[in-house]
Amino acid sequence: MDKPNTVDRRKFLSALGVTVGGVGVAGASLIAPQVVKAATEPAKGKIPDTPYKTGHMTFLTGPAAVLGDPSLKGHIMAAEEINAQGGLLGKRKIETITADEAAGTDANVKELRRMKLEGKIDLFTGVISSGNTPALGPVAEELSLLTMFVDGCTDFLFDVAVPNPKYTFRLTNIQSADGITAAIGAAQAWPQTRKIAHLHPDYSYGRNASEHFTLAIERLLPGTQVVSESWPKLGTTDFTSHITKILSSEPDLLFTSVWGGDYVAWYKQALRYGLFDKMKVATTLAFGVAPHALGKDHPEGVLAGVHSNYHFTYPGGDRWPINKSFVQRYFKRWNEYPNFQSEGSYVTLHMLKAAIERANKLMGGWPDDEMIIGQLEGMGFDTPSGYLYIRPDNHQGYKDAVTGFSKNNPEYPFPTWDQNRIITIPIRNITAPANWPKPGKGHNESTAAANWIKTTWPKSVG
Amino acid sequence: MSILVIQILNSLFYASVLFLIAAGLSLIFGVMRIVNMAHGTLYAVGAYVTAWLMGKAIALGVPLGWLFLLLPVGAGVVALAGFVIEPLLLRPFYRRAEEYQLLVTFGLLLILEDVIRFLWGGMPITADTLQDVVPIMHIGGLVYPGYNLVVIGIGALAAIGLWAGIYRTKFGVMLRATSQDRRMASALGINVGLVYMSAFAIGCFMAGLGGAIIVPSQAAVLGMGVDALILAFVVVVIGGLGSLQGALVGALIVSFVRTAGIQFFPEIELAVLYLIAAIVLLIKPTGLFGNA
Repeated sequence: MDKPNTVDRRKFLSALGVTVGGVGVAGASLIAPQVVKAATEPAKGKIPDTPYKTGHMTFLTGPAAVLGDPSLKGHIMAAEEINAQGGLLGKRKIETITADEAAGTDANVKELRRMKLEGKIDLFTGVISSGNTPALGPVAEELSLLTMFVDGCTDFLFDVAVPNPKYTFRLTNIQSADGITAAIGAAQAWPQTRKIAHLHPDYSYGRNASEHFTLAIERLLPGTQVVSESWPKLGTTDFTSHITKILSSEPDLLFTSVWGGDYVAWYKQALRYGLFDKMKVATTLAFGVAPHALGKDHPEGVLAGVHSNYHFTYPGGDRWPINKSFVQRYFKRWNEYPNFQSEGSYVTLHMLKAAIERANKLMGGWPDDEMIIGQLEGMGFDTPSGYLYIRPDNHQGYKDAVTGFSKNNPEYPFPTWDQNRIITIPIRNITAPANWPKPGKGHNESTAAANWIKTTWPKSVG
Repeated sequence: MSILVIQILNSLFYASVLFLIAAGLSLIFGVMRIVNMAHGTLYAVGAYVTAWLMGKAIALGVPLGWLFLLLPVGAGVVALAGFVIEPLLLRPFYRRAEEYQLLVTFGLLLILEDVIRFLWGGMPITADTLQDVVPIMHIGGLVYPGYNLVVIGIGALAAIGLWAGIYRTKFGVMLRATSQDRRMASALGINVGLVYMSAFAIGCFMAGLGGAIIVPSQAAVLGMGVDALILAFVVVVIGGLGSLQGALVGALIVSFVRTAGIQFFPEIELAVLYLIAAIVLLIKPTGLFGNA
């Protein structure tokens, strides 16, 4: 490979479209949509009144239930809203059967088959683990079952496991975007960083975050070095030795993708070891799992990632009424604030509804799956988190990546983002384009995104 | 240098909690010949109960120093659970084959995990107020939470207390006699049922105490019990199941090796503990202090 070009760092960040701040250029992509018409047009043709059956698989037990619980709540809320209007096309009420993703990948695949063959589901949705979507996707294709994954965000799903999806879609962002977003946020906020420590759970998510962060930071801040690495097991709650090791390497920046209960236990310990006084901290998921899981003692100024996806305070205020109204309704229904899973599974059903309505408008009657898929492909949709686009080639949902810095806001009993320092990045600038070769097709990088960065990103100077 | 001191303290801190869990597991196996799969989850119950009580006490305005009293209370609740679980769930299975006992304690694990989620939800529960009652220490240029020293102290006291209880009291003699020959002990007039119940409750108390003292430093989170169970198994495999010294030495080995792994070989942090367990199994299948 040729030596990469060099470019001024500020120009580089601006070429990536990075914007900082609650208002400003970022707002330009957020043009408030028209208010949805109160009375929807009646459906064309004869619509059956049989229920529309959905199967929602998510973690109902075990530690990952912190993510599964909001996923199901978002799904239920959307189904209730649609059913209150009479159901899909005003006729078909949404019925939901659930399955516990904690059963393990093999059992989940069996359960998917059972849901389709015995439960006669029309739509399969949910799924959180990146270990499960690559196993479930090919089976959904084999069963010709319309499938809208909410999460399970590994690049591997559409890079390798289902390279040419027909029935399978996925709505939330792509795993590689997490590490890249954190790198851009850190490079933008702390360009003087030279020594970096890593702390990641030792499984695919942590490995992916570390790899893509490093690929991006090497180009954004050339000359940085990794001075410490730690790979605790997922589910670790004792981080005292990791913290001491990180302190001993005296980094400028710690990058971590530890999440959930692990993250809560970690930051409580790191506080007492004075870690936050000695270095900057960038995360991929500090605010991602549940807004209310953290306490006011969480330090301010931490780059608090949300899976590059959604935090209920952004877009804030009246700038994006869809979000304001979604958060209010969600809080009223569940007495808590939504996370990215809630938003993802809520959007899934509403997007399905829109696709069915469009197909009906075109052809009349109840549309078959092919027609629904035709509408979902290339669909752009206004969601609480912003504008979501389903790329037709790989059925992946793309929306601008977002991250921010933790700050205590008197309005909430937990830390939220500093509204003046929210970072948004157009997703097309941090993901491989549609025709980019997938792993195994001309390169052997772990993801198409990794190869795309290595090939096309310049190195910044200054 | 201060890093070395702190890493040694970190290891002792981790060993204290591991010892409490593994000693209970070993005690129950030593006396009752039951491998209690639910043991880690009982540790989690101790953590959750303590954190929950602490939240209530702080809301009521209890002076912070008094919160220390909630540590034995949290452990006591788990011991009480042990008094109920042993006669109701375990006793009917003593005469059955071992796989039944494994199944019934594994079932208990699943039930308790769901009970925890049902009672306390999925969010982590924290109790770090207690940690801040103990002043922060300065070691070299670094800080170290004083509370961790309290945990190390409690771990050491528990080890001494348990040793004294088993080797220096009449109850300890009955316990050891029952563990060596249940029928002979019974023939000599020892109330074996009561000994079993007490042994199980003491084991539960140790696990609960482990959970209670760790929760101010970390948090009560779903899945912490299963994680602890696996580590406790590594400890008893190394030290020998049923042996108190084994639990102590095993906990120390696991903690120090883990810390060394984290500091020097981060890539194999996961593997290194199992590696030691495998080596011990190859050389001495009964564990360092176990007897076949």
